[in-house]
Amino acid sequence: MLSPPLSPHVIRATFWRTWTVTRRAYPWSYFVGTLMLGVFTVGLAHLGLAAIGGGRVAGDFVTATGSADYLGYVTVGAAAFMFVTHGVLWAGKALIQEQREGTLGALLVAPAGRLPYLLGFAAFAFTAIVLEVSVLLGCAYALGVRPAASGPGDAALAILVLGVAVFGMSLVLSAVMITAGEAHITQNSVFLAIALLSGFTFPRRYLPGVLQWLGELVPTTAAMDVLRGVFTTGAGPAPGRTAVALAVGLLYVVVGLLWLPRAERHAMERSY
Amino acid sequence: MTDRCLACSLTPEAEPVEHRRAQAGGGLRHTAKVFRAEALKQHRRVFGSRLVVFSMLVWPLMQLAATYYTVRPLAATPGIAGRWPLAADPERLLAFLATGALGFTFFFSLVQSAWHFSFERVTGTLELLFLSPAGRLAIVVGNGFGALVQNVWLFACFMVALFTALDVVHVAHPAMYAVVFLALLVPAVAWGAFLNSLLIFSRDSAFLYTLLDDPMWFAAGVRLPLFALPVWIRVFGSVLPLTGSLAVVRGALLDGRTIGELAPTLLGLGALTVLLTLGAVAALRLGEANAQRTGRLRLF
Repeated sequence: MLSPPLSPHVIRATFWRTWTVTRRAYPWSYFVGTLMLGVFTVGLAHLGLAAIGGGRVAGDFVTATGSADYLGYVTVGAAAFMFVTHGVLWAGKALIQEQREGTLGALLVAPAGRLPYLLGFAAFAFTAIVLEVSVLLGCAYALGVRPAASGPGDAALAILVLGVAVFGMSLVLSAVMITAGEAHITQNSVFLAIALLSGFTFPRRYLPGVLQWLGELVPTTAAMDVLRGVFTTGAGPAPGRTAVALAVGLLYVVVGLLWLPRAERHAMERSY
Repeated sequence: MTDRCLACSLTPEAEPVEHRRAQAGGGLRHTAKVFRAEALKQHRRVFGSRLVVFSMLVWPLMQLAATYYTVRPLAATPGIAGRWPLAADPERLLAFLATGALGFTFFFSLVQSAWHFSFERVTGTLELLFLSPAGRLAIVVGNGFGALVQNVWLFACFMVALFTALDVVHVAHPAMYAVVFLALLVPAVAWGAFLNSLLIFSRDSAFLYTLLDDPMWFAAGVRLPLFALPVWIRVFGSVLPLTGSLAVVRGALLDGRTIGELAPTLLGLGALTVLLTLGAVAALRLGEANAQRTGRLRLF
């Protein structure tokens, strides 16, 4: 008998399985790699601010971001980038990992639905990422960064919006990866593209108009605007951008869920 | 069947002097053959798919753009001409970061190719490599050189076009272009040989790959001028050949320095190149001796 579409058993079982596997063999390379990128980005901002900017930042930066705190701005961006990249590495690569280990076929014939499986994975990824991003924020705190926050409720909403964006992207990327049977080029292209388009370490207004519009196609862009409102300016989440972020994120979730069955079929057919 | 020498195809009964002479000449020929074969192998693997253009051109360009936009608000501040004259002109700032990106592409492509050696371990061809009579140093140098030329040519061409468009390059003498080219190429090949020799005996090369990605751009002054870095990071950076290469590239292309002015940096770079090559030879000897003793192709 098929389990219901959002079976809590499947979510719990996937969470528990991933927890057990990770506890025994934690992928240190992922963690150290993304943490170092974050720490060095904040370090670059810290050293550059002192030596190049003389402790000050350009006027157009203040106009574009609504804040003169360059270091805080870059830190929020670096932490969010680590959240996104690590989220995709965990949740987005879950299916291709099964494919590489030869268990994708077993997963497909299991009565568990794809959505609860991926939700269980995402729940685990979220727990791991919160711990990992805290390490980066701790390093930034030691460098004297004090991000603003408009309130715990707003902070939770901003993180939820970013979480939906990451989950949506992970679903679509899962389908791309198992269809192509390749992860390295896909993941790095996506990471570098969103680093440029979504305004993690610089205001998007610096980009040419075409790229600003292209940025709206990825869910992380609007999610970053929400995050900026909460943690950079402290003005709170802009309702319009929050709605856009959730809408684009959920659209990615739907597209991913519709595409996955075809991608899985393709992946299985190709392996015989 | 009579055994024949692999290098000179003479039987052991041949005259010893003749044999040695043939071996010396054949040694060179043999090295060239291994070098060519290894570079061809790299070519076939790298160019298996058209997607390779992403890692060759699109990725470094996107990274360069993001870095430029991140650093720009710091350079457009009052008094920049006193702190860092080069950054006062946005085009020269872009050129500074572009030289950094070019240098990083050179040296990081070798970290990648060294990491690819772990695939030989996975696919079981590493043992075959050591059973073959091919010279070990020729393999690691050929592998690095092949990877380098194929990974950087597109980005290097693009950079030349960018510098021409920005009109920021003013060299003291046309020969400085050759100095710049050699200052990037020669240390990079030695760096590649050294990394290959280390990673060929490593079980977890992904870790070194991670370790040499971000710390390398940070410490070598790829995205920040060296004066912005604290002394202890500069000391760490001076061990990396990329730091010296970038000093030569930027000095010659952006500041119009002469070869005399760059001589101390060039000498340091030369010494580092020799050290890296010696390190490669030592690692290969040590690793192979260890493998002969223990039967395991790994040092760490």
